Amino acid sequence: MSTVLINGIGSALGAQVARQLSAHDGVTVLGLARCEPSAPVGCAEWLVAHLSGLQLIELLRAEHVDTLIHLDFAGADAPAEGREAAVQQNVLGTMEVLGACIAAGVSHVVVRSHVGIYGANPKNPIMLSESRPAARGGLSGLLRDLAEVEHFLAEFTVRHPEISVAILRFAPIVGGWSPLLEYFAQPSPRTLIGFDPSMQLLHIDDAANAIVLAALSPCAGAFNLAADDAVCISQAIRLSGQQPVPTIEALIGLSASMGDRTKLRPWPFDISFLRHSCVVDTRRAKDVLGWSPTHSAVDSIHSARKNGRAIDDPATSEAAMRAFLSRKG
Amino acid sequence: MSESIEIEVGGQSADLTAPPAEVAAPKPQRTSRAKQATEPTLEVEATAKRRARKPRAAARVEDVDVRVVQPRAAAPTEDADVRVAGKAAPKVPPAAAYWDVHPGDSLHEVELEVRNNASQQQGQAAVMGNVAAGLIALIGENMRRMTEEQVGKVRELLSGTDLSDYLDSSFWQGVGMVLQYQVQEQVDFVKRRLRGEYHVDPYGMDYEMIEVVRPFMAFMYRTWWRITSHGLEHVPAEGRAMLVSNHSGVLPWDGAMITTAVSADHPVRPDRVVRSLHLHWFSTLPFVAPALAATGQVPGLPENAVRLLENDELVCVFPEGLKGVGKLYKDRYKLARFGRGGFVQAALRARAPIIPVAVVGAEEIYPMLYNAESFAKLMGFPYFPLTPFFPWLGLLGTIPLPTRWSITFCPPISTEEYGPRAADDPLTVLSLAERVRDTIQATIDTRLAERTSIF
Repeated sequence: MSTVLINGIGSALGAQVARQLSAHDGVTVLGLARCEPSAPVGCAEWLVAHLSGLQLIELLRAEHVDTLIHLDFAGADAPAEGREAAVQQNVLGTMEVLGACIAAGVSHVVVRSHVGIYGANPKNPIMLSESRPAARGGLSGLLRDLAEVEHFLAEFTVRHPEISVAILRFAPIVGGWSPLLEYFAQPSPRTLIGFDPSMQLLHIDDAANAIVLAALSPCAGAFNLAADDAVCISQAIRLSGQQPVPTIEALIGLSASMGDRTKLRPWPFDISFLRHSCVVDTRRAKDVLGWSPTHSAVDSIHSARKNGRAIDDPATSEAAMRAFLSRKG
Repeated sequence: MSESIEIEVGGQSADLTAPPAEVAAPKPQRTSRAKQATEPTLEVEATAKRRARKPRAAARVEDVDVRVVQPRAAAPTEDADVRVAGKAAPKVPPAAAYWDVHPGDSLHEVELEVRNNASQQQGQAAVMGNVAAGLIALIGENMRRMTEEQVGKVRELLSGTDLSDYLDSSFWQGVGMVLQYQVQEQVDFVKRRLRGEYHVDPYGMDYEMIEVVRPFMAFMYRTWWRITSHGLEHVPAEGRAMLVSNHSGVLPWDGAMITTAVSADHPVRPDRVVRSLHLHWFSTLPFVAPALAATGQVPGLPENAVRLLENDELVCVFPEGLKGVGKLYKDRYKLARFGRGGFVQAALRARAPIIPVAVVGAEEIYPMLYNAESFAKLMGFPYFPLTPFFPWLGLLGTIPLPTRWSITFCPPISTEEYGPRAADDPLTVLSLAERVRDTIQATIDTRLAERTSIF
């Protein structure tokens, strides 16, 4: 019998984790969100609130929570409101949550992270393993916050051996909102001329599976999670139905600093990720968690492209109608 | 002496062209004598193997037959007689039915014939014949990848052309038409690429792109540098191995040619891709970086080498690194220092055998007379070569000289008995590195002594 609290149940990922956990017997699922969940959450009970550290301790103690899943990061599942608020929520928020967990006697914590924290550097080997430390510079936005969180966690787990912290480093998640998908789908996304690094992606189902596995097993340490195949950035953009526009770096930098936000949507990552690949090794997750991806990167882009888009292809329409008509026979 | 060779070859030919109907035509006295040759002789196969990508025994052995029986000086008419006799039935070029089975292979035979003819010519005609043979090979390579429908189209285009007569203007017209047609065929391919429908591995390798550059590389391999590969049987058909080669020639053509040697001439697995490790500085260069990644080359970091070996890949390393490619012409064929033995550590960690590879001929493709170091530093290059042609002739100066090469794959050095702990023992690592270096230097010296001219 265990009680799991999902911090950040409001996002698509949080809701899916709640649904999958609800299916397990003997698991009580609780949720905490800053906004109402956007998707069904199974039989989870949830509250919408922004709790301070002390209030969080009270909640954890009263509900006898023994496992906490921390997914609540600004800029990961919805556009961040502002840089200051994002740092407050991402870095200080995580520190508060972990402090509360220690005080309330929570034994197991699962924190989400991102493979981008390794940075994109030609001196990084291609299949990065978890032992590689997070980059100390050259990151901005959400990735910078996550790298800071990782540095904090590295210290924290040494000081508090009584709590087991699993860090899940996800490749960019496909499904729901993400800055990368925004970038892929915008008209003529800019890439860096003469470079086309490979990248990994992760379907939201596989991400949710990994969180559930990590929450239900007493594992600790970092895990890389990504689909088995890789795609080139230009290939990913083409699969999303756009054509990449190769641009020289100075122009990208200029348009970003000119602040033409209406035209240029939020940049998904640092420019260095357009130049060098950041590909990780997922062996540890497979061996320790028993996790294995069910969707390839190419499939997940295809499904993301179909999502919420009107069908204009006559062949697909025909097939759909035939399938519908034959449902009774 | 020549008599005995003839017997063996004749016996071989009779053995391999198994259906007796085909062999019926050759001279009777030869078949009777052939009974003496009991076992297939390896020498014949060794010569024949070089040109053969697919096992078309009859054509191959027939080719050897002609070459051995007829010394170079023989009159061409007599030569033709022998050839027809050996082959027993078909006249090669315009026989349209022949195209149905393996168009690439029948073209391969035409190519051999043209090359054979050319080798008996003098001067310009010989050069032209070689180029013609190269072009036919290029078409053949491409046709291996075509669908049946496309092959039919090409056959139609070539129908009026006698391919073996390269001195005829209609030959060049035909070849031109086929090449143009191929450009059109590529449009579909490009359209599919533009939709993103292709596959890359995590290192960025794109097998389709390798297929695209393969004919060009094969042209450089066979026609431009006329490379002879020795000891390809030492390259395993399955499982991991680390190829360690000397590095030379300003631009890393030698790596590309080692890859091509395996893909063109490997007796069992011509589809094996050699993953060369390059200096990670190349990954910072626009256009170069994605091209290297697409053709399966990987930044030279020890972790990458171990990882690839653990995936049972063929990995090729150049321990000399920049000191090798940026070598001056006067220092040619003197191996530079072999790094700090990092390649041996990687091989020991992955328990992969080390295969020393000696490349001779690449040193002369860009004779680097002077290294403009201060300019290189200014531009952020590792070196800036001044050759008799570069930078004076601009882009033309980057065309490599057509020297004649040889690539020798030495017998593998096993690392099994050392155990993975040995990777942390500097003495073992350095002595193994030295052993590999000595093997390569000795092989280079042997090949240099055999060589009569650099062209």
